[in-house]
Order: sequence, then structure tokens, then C-alpha cells
Amino acid sequence: MTPPEVGSTSSPITPPEAVPVDRVPPRGRDWRGTIGRVVVPFLPALVFLAFWEWASGRLIRELYVSRPSAIAARLVELGASAELWHNLAVTGEELVLGYGIGVLLGAATGYALGRSPGLARVFEPYVMAFYSVPKIALAPLFIIWFGIGIGSKVALAGLMVFFLIFFNVFMGVRAIDRQLIDLARIMGAGQTQLTRHVYLPASTPFLIMGMRMALPYSVIGVIVGEFTASTEGLGLFIHEASASYDPAGVFAGIAILLGFVLAANFAAGRLEARLLRWQPTRDRGAVSL
Amino acid sequence: MTMDADIPVALEFRDIRHSFAAPPAKGRPGRVVPVIADISLSVGAGRFTAVVGPSGCGKSTLLQFAAGLLRPSGGTVSQFGAPITGVNDRIGFVPQQAMLFPWYTLRQNVELPLLLRDVPAAERRARCDLLLRQVGLAGFEDHFPHQLSGGMQKRASIIRTLIYEPDIVLMDEPFGALDAQTRLLMHADLLRLWERRRSTILFVTHDLVEAITLADNVVLLSRRPTVVKADFQVPLPRPRDVFEPFKMPGFTAAYEEVWRIFRTEVVDDAA
Repeated sequence: MTPPEVGSTSSPITPPEAVPVDRVPPRGRDWRGTIGRVVVPFLPALVFLAFWEWASGRLIRELYVSRPSAIAARLVELGASAELWHNLAVTGEELVLGYGIGVLLGAATGYALGRSPGLARVFEPYVMAFYSVPKIALAPLFIIWFGIGIGSKVALAGLMVFFLIFFNVFMGVRAIDRQLIDLARIMGAGQTQLTRHVYLPASTPFLIMGMRMALPYSVIGVIVGEFTASTEGLGLFIHEASASYDPAGVFAGIAILLGFVLAANFAAGRLEARLLRWQPTRDRGAVSL
Repeated sequence: MTMDADIPVALEFRDIRHSFAAPPAKGRPGRVVPVIADISLSVGAGRFTAVVGPSGCGKSTLLQFAAGLLRPSGGTVSQFGAPITGVNDRIGFVPQQAMLFPWYTLRQNVELPLLLRDVPAAERRARCDLLLRQVGLAGFEDHFPHQLSGGMQKRASIIRTLIYEPDIVLMDEPFGALDAQTRLLMHADLLRLWERRRSTILFVTHDLVEAITLADNVVLLSRRPTVVKADFQVPLPRPRDVFEPFKMPGFTAAYEEVWRIFRTEVVDDAA
């Protein structure tokens, strides 16, 4: 006869770890869920824009706040003009250079100081002191030092990015579990291998967090630089629109910046999901829009 | 059983003393706290030696010495006659927590020591596959550590240490954090792996039953400042029954003898 319970796989002591623990959230398939995920985040923006459109000219004078339809029209009009694309290219170049240089220098410095307690003891107070200097206040000086061209904007954005990256990477490297390093050394890792297999992967989450935090700051740095003194760029465009009582132009410029930051943040989110898929529970997508 | 004089010594602790500096606290100057008073201990090659001691007696510190991560205040530690001076990459170390590298998959974790030792990819893969099968982890190669249960992580931690076949394996309360059932399964796995290739194991624990069930001899340490109380030969044949050790003839007698020596270190009879 067959035994009452076909316990072919269950030994007297069932291994509690025999169950694969895969935390894969249900994806796709459920079209209502998909629509909810894609559409719902846009609702507040739509409500806000609708209210703005309605209130402009009714509650507030249009001269003060423009209106979304006017801004959209201006964007279309600007899109057809060479002026916008030129300004965009200039600002884009400043952003890419400033952000890139800031990330590279910040990561290298943070890594070096994080790995060497001796260096950290000497230089950390200096970095801390410079961190507390309001960088925006340096903008006029930067114009004098680096000229009215893109140099000063790159320097300003780079400086703001540098500190955020530096602190994140520095903390990240210092937070690495000593035991992991010891184990790797016992397993036979030399300094180069430690870097490759322990220090770099362990500090990557911190680097990426810093990179995401630094994105808006690089934009602020560049725009403030252009506001202060420049001959071209999106910041100058916004500045001039503002000075000539053209709110539609101001908001059109801001909308372009907004679009840029959102796109860059989205790209960073994708990069993060790819590089950090080894991390346990993370709210991927929650802030990656 | 008598102490076999003809077994070569794999690891030797000679006249070990150790103290650490306690930082100054409120109203009290910094002072030097002696942890280990005098430990001399020979670990026979190919033997499974368990070290048992009350908490704070410095038993894990002994492993740190052997791994070359810490230098004793006095005395020498030598491995096959050669003193240990720097980080010792000829031993294997299984820490209390599994300590897998979270950014690597199970396979990458297990293969890492071989990668660090420049073993060719094909051989790495073959040796990893074999060990994964032996501990029932086949099929989980591409999982990241956080996707594995505590027991699976611990198995991975052990085979990651065994994969490069170190002559000496140091284990620091490796099963302390596991639930009771998983622990028994781990005992069975460990003994099975060890009996295949008898490397020297120095196993630190605070659990007498675990020590007697697994080991050839049990070294009992005193309270701080620590000395060796006894080096007890476990008179039990192999293979051992890890699931019901109390049913093995001679186990109870062995346990009682060890406990008789050990209880004065754990229970404060003076009180």
C-alpha cells in the first residue's frame, strides 16, 4: 500500500533552506497594474498644469506667471530657432564637463582618503572646511579666475559635484566591513586584487548615490555661473527672458532644464539597477523617474 | 586513546600571552587588560581539534593569531615549524557570519579564492561545481548571497574555504548563528566533507556537545586571564552520529568528564 504521506523529499528534519528565496516582484502581465504605474505618477503634474492654465488670467495676471499653453507654444517656437539649440549645446557641454570632472576627481579623492587613514587624518579637515564654503558666493570670483566662457561654469559645477561625490565615496570606502577585507587577504588577494574585488564593488553604491545627488547640483552650478556672467547658454537665455518681463521664456527655459534633469536621473536609475542588482531589497523605480 | 606522539604538528601556539589596552573611561585611566595568561597548544596535522572556552576567554583571538591578522603580546605561533609573521594565506578561515561578498553570485564567491590564486577558469568551474553538488547548492550558482538562506550562505562560506584545499582550516563559531536543525545538518555536511580530505581543523565553539560530536580532541580553556585547562581526547569512533550524539556509546561519559572540568569555568561555584 502507499504510505499515508509520500514524504519522498522530506527527511525527518526538513532543511529550512531548501526553498529558493527569490524576491522577484510580479511584472508585466497585469495591464491594470502597468497603467497604474505609468499613469498615476503623472496625475499630480496634470492637475497642477490644468489649474495653472485655468488660474492664469483669472486669479493671477498672466504677465506674472504666463500659462502652460503659452509656454508650450514658446517651446515649439524655440525648437525651430537656431538660438535655442546653440544655447542648449553650450550649457550641455558645461554640464557634461563639470559633472564629469567633478565625479572623477571626487571619486578619486574620496577613494584615496578612504583607503588611507594617514591621508584622511591630514586632509579631511581641509575638505570639510572647503565644503562649508558657499560655492555660489564664489561665482563672481570664478568668472575672474576662469573667464567669462565655459571655464568658469565648468569649474563651478565641478566644485559642487566634487564634494558630494567625495563625501559619498569616502564614507563608502570607510564603511567596508574589515572582515571582508581580511578574508580576501587570507584567500590570497594582494592590494590590486583587493581594489578590484572588494573596495571598488563595495563603494559602488555610494558612488552612484553621490552621482544621483550631484545631478541637480551640477545644473545649479552651471546656471548660476551663466547668470553671473556669460555670453551664451541656457542660463543666459533664462536671465534675459526674466529681465525683459517674458515669463513664458523663463518657464520655457526652466522646462528644458527640468526635462534634462529628469532624463539624466532616469538614465542614472537604469545604470544603478544594472550595477547594483546584487543589493537586497531596494525600491527600484521609486525615485528613478 | 593516548596523545599520538608521531602525528606531525600542524599548528603550534607556544607560551602565548595577550592583553589589550582598555581606553580611558570616565574617572578611570586607560589600563592594560590581560586576556590570555599562558596558552601552549599543539594542533596535530589532519586532526579535528575543538577549542571550547567561556565567552571573553580569547578563543577567537587564537584564530586571529593563526590567521596572522593579530600578533600576540608574547609567544609564538608557528605553522609546520615556520613562524607566522604576516597575513596567513596558507590557511582557510570560516568566520562566525557567512561573510560572502554580496556583490558576487554564489559561483563567483566560491570560485574567488581560486581566481585570486590564478587557477584557470575551466578548473575553477569544475572544482566549484563538484563542491556545490556535495553540499546541495547546485542550481543556485547565479543567486546573490541575499537570495540565499542562512544555512545556504554558511555552506557556501565553508566550501569557499575548502575549495583551495588549505592544509589548515580555522573555524570561528561557524554555526553559532544558525537554528538548531540547520546546525545539525551543517555538522553532518562538515564531517562528510572533512572525512573526504582530512585537513587540519581548529574549531572554536562555546558548545560542548558540538565540540565532542565533531572533534578528535577538545581543548578546554579557562576564564580570563586564560590558560589551557585540559586537552581531552574524544574516545568516539567515526563516522559520528551528529543527529543523535547521545546515542553513541561513550558520548555521555565523555560529556560528563568534559563538563566536570569545564563547569568550574562557567558556573560560579563560590557564589
